[in-house]
Order: sequence, then C-alpha cells, then structure tokens
Amino acid sequence: MEKDLVEYIVKSLVDKPDEVSVNVIEGEQSTILELKVASDDVGKVIGKQGRIANAIRVILSASATKGGKRVVLEILD
Amino acid sequence: MFREFEGKTEQEAIAAAVAELQIDSQDFDVEILDSGRKGLFKKGPVRIRVHLDDEQFEEVEEGLLSAMTVPASTDSAIVEDYEQEIVDFVTTLLVKMGFPGSVEISYRKEGKLGLEIISKHSSIIIGRKGKNLDAIQLIANVVAGKLHEEIKVVVDSENYRIRHEEQLVRLAYKTAEQVRLNGRSRLLEPMNPFERRLIHTALNEFEGVQTKSEGEGLYKQVRIIKDDELPPLRS
Repeated sequence: MEKDLVEYIVKSLVDKPDEVSVNVIEGEQSTILELKVASDDVGKVIGKQGRIANAIRVILSASATKGGKRVVLEILD
Repeated sequence: MFREFEGKTEQEAIAAAVAELQIDSQDFDVEILDSGRKGLFKKGPVRIRVHLDDEQFEEVEEGLLSAMTVPASTDSAIVEDYEQEIVDFVTTLLVKMGFPGSVEISYRKEGKLGLEIISKHSSIIIGRKGKNLDAIQLIANVVAGKLHEEIKVVVDSENYRIRHEEQLVRLAYKTAEQVRLNGRSRLLEPMNPFERRLIHTALNEFEGVQTKSEGEGLYKQVRIIKDDELPPLRS
C-alpha cells in the first residue's frame, strides 16, 4: 500500500513523526498522495534541490509498477 | 561417519563438500543419494553423502569448530545497534515497497557500511541505471545520519555497483580511443559526481586525451577532448 510506504519513509526522516499525515486521492489512472508534515520538517522531506523528495518519488513509482497506476506525491506546506 | 551435501549438479555438491570440509575430493568417498532427475526435463538438486573415516572426521570437526568461533571474536561479527537499525530500516522499506528480501552487512571500511540486498525482486530493486537502488541508498543514508554521524551507507544488490563501475570505465576507454583516433570531442551522458570521478580518474593515465565536466547541478556531463584540440594556455 503506497500510503503506508510514504508514511514509513517520512516518519523515519522527520523529527516529529506524530505530525505526519498522508491523504489519498484515488483517481482513475493515478493516485495522488498529499503529504503533510510539521512545518519545521518540510525541509527534511524535500532535501537540498529536492533530492530526498525525488528519492521518495522514485521509490514510490518503483513500488507502484505492480498496481499499474501512476502515483503522484504532493508535499503540502 | 558421513555428512550430506546438496548442489545443482554432482560437481557442485562435491565442491560444496570440499569447501566446507577443507579436504581434497580424492580423500573421501562420495555416495550419490539423489541424482536430481525428477522427470525428463525437470532437474532437482543433487544430494550426495560424503563418507569419512574417524580420523578425518575429527579433523573436520575441529576445523568447523574453530571456523565458527573465530569470526565471532573479531570486530566484524559484532553488529552495532545503529547498524542493526539501518539493516532493519531497509528490510522494512523493501517489505513496504512490496519487494521483500533479506539485507546483510557485506563490509565495513573507511566509515562506509556496505549492505547487500538479496531478493528475487532484485531487478526492480536496482531499477533502470540503478535509479531505485540509489533512491533507497539516499534515504538509508539520511536515516543513518540521524543515528550515527560519520557513517556512509552503500546499498547494493547482485553486485550491481561493481558491475556498473566496470562498465563506466570500459565506456571511458572506448570513447577515449575514438576521440584520439578521429580528433572529435565526445560528450558523455549526465552522471553523478561519483560516476564522473571514475571517468576522470580512469582517463587521467590515458595518453592523448583530456576530460572536463560540463553543465550545472548534480548531474553534469563529462567531455572527452583530444589533447591538441584544447585552446593553447596563455601565459
């Protein structure tokens, strides 16, 4: 389950894991995951030049190849 | 006394026996228990039984005992808490990705912790050009950084990293040879700093060409240029 995967990764990166939440929006061809973290933790999830956010997206899309659906990760701030 | 071994072929089973018992294949009798034929085309594992006389058996026992106790007393066998946490993190990550496998510590050197992923899903875990492996490695490094300051985690599967390095060096030589022959410079694909450094180092010793990086950001491109094509340096 993609929501579970994102939560697991993000919770292990941030300082305030309790404030991590993922909202799933199921579309026909794609699933959108809206990620919310504590405002101090946004930088940790995005990383320099978005490196960490990109790595999370790569892992997500690798995992999503089984389901056949595109998964989009949006980081809300 | 006897011990049993298994392998895809009879030779493999014997090789396994030789490796574990540390004695020559001429020195023991082999009895084939299961030749592995499970039908016309199906082949199962071959099982053999190795017969030893008492004297040999004692030697083997001693050898096995010392082999088991020696690594436990060296540093490499003691898994630090933070190392176990990193291993557990990657293991759980793979499960959540839907590609379970086992994660083992393959080496520790110069502040690096090498992890080897063993999984039947290794091709997707590695990904195109190692993309997925790099992403897992990056996240694992951030997690490791929170646990222990000076450790760099290298995540590998199926020896991808070493195979990839060899491939890059071969590409560097091949392209450099072409540049030297026809004099036209060549631009390689975008690469990360580690990969570019491999190319620069490989061609440092290569006569007749020079290398330089072009572009901006993390993924720059290496250009290979023939020596005399460089604009003359002004003094």
